[in-house]
Amino acid sequence: MHGSIGDVIQFIDLNVYTVLFLFLVGFIGGLVSGFIGSGGAFVLTPGMMSLGVPGTVAVASNMCHKFPKALVGAVKRYKYGQVDIKLGLIMGVFAEIGVQVGIMIQKTVLDKWGQAGSNLYVSIIFVLVLVIVGSFVLRDALGMKNADGATEVKSPTVAKRLQQIELWPMITFKTANIRISLWFLIPVALATGMLAATIAVGGFIGVPGLMYIIGVTSIVASASELVVAFVMGLGGTLIWAYYGMVDIRLVMIILAGSLFGVQLGAIGTTYVKDYMIKFVMATIMLIVAVSRLLALPKYLSELQLISINTVMLSIMTHLSFGVMCLALLIGASIILANLFKARRLEKLAARNI
Amino acid sequence: MAVTRNGHMSEPVMMYAMHTAQRLGCAVLTVHVDTLPAYNLRRRSRRFAEAVEESIAQFRENVKDSGLIVEHLCESGRVGDVVSRLCRAHRRIEFVVLDKGIRLEEVARQSPVPVFPVLCNQQGSFHTALSLPAMKKGGFTMSVNRKRHMKNCMLFGTLTAALYATIFTYQDLVVTYFSKGGVFALLPVATVLAVSYFHGNFTSSFWSAMGIEASKKETAKKVTPAHAVVDGVTRVSRPDTRPRVQMNA
Repeated sequence: MHGSIGDVIQFIDLNVYTVLFLFLVGFIGGLVSGFIGSGGAFVLTPGMMSLGVPGTVAVASNMCHKFPKALVGAVKRYKYGQVDIKLGLIMGVFAEIGVQVGIMIQKTVLDKWGQAGSNLYVSIIFVLVLVIVGSFVLRDALGMKNADGATEVKSPTVAKRLQQIELWPMITFKTANIRISLWFLIPVALATGMLAATIAVGGFIGVPGLMYIIGVTSIVASASELVVAFVMGLGGTLIWAYYGMVDIRLVMIILAGSLFGVQLGAIGTTYVKDYMIKFVMATIMLIVAVSRLLALPKYLSELQLISINTVMLSIMTHLSFGVMCLALLIGASIILANLFKARRLEKLAARNI
Repeated sequence: MAVTRNGHMSEPVMMYAMHTAQRLGCAVLTVHVDTLPAYNLRRRSRRFAEAVEESIAQFRENVKDSGLIVEHLCESGRVGDVVSRLCRAHRRIEFVVLDKGIRLEEVARQSPVPVFPVLCNQQGSFHTALSLPAMKKGGFTMSVNRKRHMKNCMLFGTLTAALYATIFTYQDLVVTYFSKGGVFALLPVATVLAVSYFHGNFTSSFWSAMGIEASKKETAKKVTPAHAVVDGVTRVSRPDTRPRVQMNA
């Protein structure tokens, strides 16, 4: 079965533009992933498709580049004492189940409403999740920033209450410094997996879920999310590679850039305050939500729910992709600016000792 | 007499010997001891001799303007035996300074003169070095770390380049097999894991060699528990980069 699918797939020819584009997007995506734990990969699938890569190959290659990137990022951040491996692995296993559930839902939607319906479903989920979670995270980040010295780590109220409920099996996470029932961890992990299967970035639920429901700090949450991404990515890659969909050349070019980025992003986490990770994450989420909002009319039009002229649709589609790239660029700029500013201040302080 | 068993004498020992000799008005005798003369005879001996030459050249460069008299010797065998023999042959040796890697007891047992190992903070564990921010200002730690990162960078960079070159040179063959599916699914997975190891190490060393490393505050925070708590007061080592001697008396 796998052979027949692989036979009809056409891999693209590589040229300088393709290589440069993938390397750069890989680098910026890696930078963001290393910093907030995920979120760097969502531009790659549409980006690759815009280069002429077939959709399935783009998704498969994206998935295949994600897990080694997450592995390198997790190892780096583990050295800084930020990763809770136990938390990441447990989350990863249940997130993998969530991915399968997400795929099943996707299939049902596809069967019922066709490709346009499926795209509309994905975009609506994108917008809803990103706007709701993104604004909550942004509010929290701004609150912490305004309180200035509030780098003191406090567990959110919901998390505190959940941690007090003694429901077997209780699990202790040493690095995250929490003790919580597995039953509260499972829904967060499932939602992470389901979102990953739907919009390719599970971390937009996973990291805030870990922060606000489980009560993990943003540094540990974003670092442990890399372990979740590794587990999910490895599982997904094995499935895609089984059907021969992975274009190893694309993967290697993206990895060439993204491993530079992920190291830098991980280094960046050691310089910034807790709220900065939330701030970058919320900024990216909200801008991406705008991007998906711009893509909605196209799918609504395909389903003949609204009528809109083709020129306008084309502009909005291009604008949507542009805004998505902008989200990544803004996120990367904030990370780099903060990293170099903090480095400069630290050097200055060291000189004055 | 300054003794090392390494090809390159460490900078703190070199500087300590030089400054002490200047203050006391003595000459310096540097001795490079090849402790494994029979091991991998040709290649190792050649490399050791090359390193000794470089080390001697550096010492000469350091004492160029000081007017200090410096003699250099290259010996082989056990450090204790060498020190004992030289102290008896060169009657005017006042004391012996040992470089890192030589056990004090081994030499002190056979030496007729006092022996001082030079202890340097930079030789401590990596974490300890990082926990002392002022030390990072010292050029020695930085240069050694940078050199190490540069070396790793070159090594893993070459390996990564070789891996990429192989894949892209034979890309048609690679794509054919890698997209066959089934058991062949393990090929892309194994390849990207190899990339993550080689390229991951390369990129890590690359940023470190460029001087972009994790915040020292963060690393210091991580190693804080390692400091001993005595009488309820956490004692942190003083940020002192000076080489020190320890007497065997």
